[in-house]
Amino acid sequence: MSRIGVFVCHCGENISRTVDVERVAAHAATLPGVACATEYKYMCSDPGQTLLKKAISEQRLTHVVVAACSPRMHERTFRKAVEGAGLNPYLCEMANIREHCSWVHEDREEATAKACDIVGMMVERTKKNRVLPAITVPVTKRSLVIGGGIAGIQAALDIADAGHEVVLVEREPSIGGHMAQLSETFPTLDCSQCIMTPKMVDVANHPKITLYTYSEIELVEGYIGNFQVTVRKRARSVNERTCTGCGVCMTKCPQKKIPNKFDQNIGMRTAIYVPFPQAVPNTPVIDRENCTKFKTGKCGVCQKVCGPGAVDFEQQDTLIVEAVGAIVVATGFDLYSISEKPKGSPIKGYGEFGHGKIPDVIDGMTFERLASASGPTGGKIVRPSDGREPKQIVFIQCIGSRAREKGISYCSKVCCMYTAKHTMLYHHKVHDGQAYVFFMDARTPGKSYDEFWRRSIEEEEAVYIRGMVSRLYQKGDKIVVMGSDIAVGVQVEIEADMVVLATAVQPQQGADLLAQKLGISYDKYNFYSEAHAKLRPVECATAGIFLAGACQGPKDIPETVSQASAAAAKVMTLFSKDRLEREPIVARVREAGCVGCFACKKVCAYGAVEEKEIRDRQGNLLRVVASVNPGVCAGCGTCQATCPSKCVELDGYTDEQIVAMIEAL
Amino acid sequence: MKKKKMVISQETMDVDFVRKVEMLSDTSVRRCFQCGKCSAGCPMATFMEHPPNRVVRLLQLGQWQRILAGRSIWYCASCETCSTRCPNKVHLASIMDALRKLSWDAEGASKESYVQLANKLFLQNIRSYGRQYEMRLAAVFNVKSGQFLKDLMLGPKLFAKGKLKMFHSKNKNMAEIEKIFSRIDDMRKNGEAL
Repeated sequence: MSRIGVFVCHCGENISRTVDVERVAAHAATLPGVACATEYKYMCSDPGQTLLKKAISEQRLTHVVVAACSPRMHERTFRKAVEGAGLNPYLCEMANIREHCSWVHEDREEATAKACDIVGMMVERTKKNRVLPAITVPVTKRSLVIGGGIAGIQAALDIADAGHEVVLVEREPSIGGHMAQLSETFPTLDCSQCIMTPKMVDVANHPKITLYTYSEIELVEGYIGNFQVTVRKRARSVNERTCTGCGVCMTKCPQKKIPNKFDQNIGMRTAIYVPFPQAVPNTPVIDRENCTKFKTGKCGVCQKVCGPGAVDFEQQDTLIVEAVGAIVVATGFDLYSISEKPKGSPIKGYGEFGHGKIPDVIDGMTFERLASASGPTGGKIVRPSDGREPKQIVFIQCIGSRAREKGISYCSKVCCMYTAKHTMLYHHKVHDGQAYVFFMDARTPGKSYDEFWRRSIEEEEAVYIRGMVSRLYQKGDKIVVMGSDIAVGVQVEIEADMVVLATAVQPQQGADLLAQKLGISYDKYNFYSEAHAKLRPVECATAGIFLAGACQGPKDIPETVSQASAAAAKVMTLFSKDRLEREPIVARVREAGCVGCFACKKVCAYGAVEEKEIRDRQGNLLRVVASVNPGVCAGCGTCQATCPSKCVELDGYTDEQIVAMIEAL
Repeated sequence: MKKKKMVISQETMDVDFVRKVEMLSDTSVRRCFQCGKCSAGCPMATFMEHPPNRVVRLLQLGQWQRILAGRSIWYCASCETCSTRCPNKVHLASIMDALRKLSWDAEGASKESYVQLANKLFLQNIRSYGRQYEMRLAAVFNVKSGQFLKDLMLGPKLFAKGKLKMFHSKNKNMAEIEKIFSRIDDMRKNGEAL
């Protein structure tokens, strides 16, 4: 005979506002098998847990039902408390009378009756719970970091410094990401290259880091502690081992007019190229689409001039399988394009700003390249159209961001600060120029951030105009900007030489496809979702996968670095144990009844069902039956629903238990 | 009133004028971030076409003509509530003072307010007589402002109380007073005073 304890929580007022918790407890006490039932204001607090532990020992309870919030919220809390009192944690269940009852109902009578029913059902189900031993799986103490921007670099360095091997995969030919493109960084105006490139070198030289650039994730299999990741290393057409990085090939390449993506297409590069001189690794890549050799079969100049003979036109993509225990996703961001909307994208472009067709209307990242000492103009701020220095420059914030009509309702977070920085960089370089900024709100939360913004106005003489621009058009060689100053309440017109648009931060293109490969969730903008917005901000809901940087949402550099280090710390925590404990709520096959149809194997999304041979003592094969690998099983129950002979059952959710719950109604 | 579109450029932003205002008032207009607290507490804001915060905003854009064309600066009672409450230490009452001073010589200053006319006549009287001659002040003011009958009925009462004299009396040291005025005239010519 079971002795069940029922503990009803008020959840402050969250539950007790609509549910009469005293009556629920009184009702529970009358149920067969219930030894005691009580209620308390905050069951999850220290006095609440003590009450529960005390009842277990005093009342000699065999099972526990906590009627409170969703098990997603506090199941772990209460199971830990139950374990502390000496009971197997899986003999504790939660009856959800908050999300499933008090929050969604208004009528107190009906809600109370429903709460009684929910508790009754859980009592019946819990009675049939069995003691489950913890499942442990081995941990591969290597980590994969996807993305070689500042987030990926920081996470990789932190993990590697802790002594664990790291595989860093970057899609572009060089690591560095967007931070390497920036000229100077807010709020201290230190040069991005000076703080970024040494870290890139550290990555390249670290004995624990394996770096794959120009590579992409092909396939991810396995589970926490035991992932197998296939990396596609794209053909570079240059042998990384023999190339010395002398750069002769680049000087001799006849294709010299290819827009360089790293310079936002305002600078030019050759067909065999490194994206920027400080690239890591400093090994060129042949852009096969634009290479004469690959287009026509003639040329091959680079191969002829290469001293070590590193150029290899025959090179093929290679697939590399890496075994890792944890994955840090740090794929970063991209910028909203004001030009015609990309095909298939729900995001709209900006017709009122000429769809990006006015040459001197540029985006923030292009301005960074113009202002950067390593940029195509050597740090001179000039107009892309005629190379003249702009004397009147207009910055417009919130382009794409906070524009529901354009498809994005979030704030991109960094634009206010980088626009303030841009006005300063401009003022430092063009002393007789004037910068104007059209803005809706200046959002500058962060250490020394508001002071920085105020400095751009008070000391660097930027004129900020609160109000948006409705239209801009070319007039002669000027761009007429039509906006409004809502503080004065008049329309404003400025004839500008150059306009810089602070375009929205978006996830990288293809972020959704990578998420599907990893099995992690993402929101409608393709930003990756964290497990809990406040309490688990760097973890994915999928165990063993962590997030760092702007792939999760718009972030500035300090925040990105913090999150990357946090993700690294989480990985190290995972690697601190030799074996991992997993939830033992997994499917079990009753081998005696299994007919070996393997319907369960076909439906298992996690590849947890294996074929098991049953042999007699002489070793003769008798039958082949299904068997569940408890390390892989995620406890979804699909196999149980599929099995025609009812021979797979999920612990805690057996047919017997489900029927008992229905009977209790 | 139709609101004129504002064309902003380095030419239309009169930075020199703003500098003068900042110097006279010993405060910075750039510090203002348009929170509106000055206008929120201003007892006269409802009478102004540009409430205090907008006066500062227009100064930030170097658009002083718009301020002086209106009556805002003349309605300011110099109660200093704005300056006391400003989170950014913008001394708005001093800015208003500075604007009133600068409006003396500025073109296109408000015709709506006769404060300036009264000030001018007041000083003229001092220069002529060494002290105030109320009868003349009132008469000339009424004629020049075109309001011939303004406050006419107050006259007899003031007479009765001896506050208004029919004839003026003159200061004995007129030469000294003239010295003061001509010195100020010279300083204004040389740009040493406003």
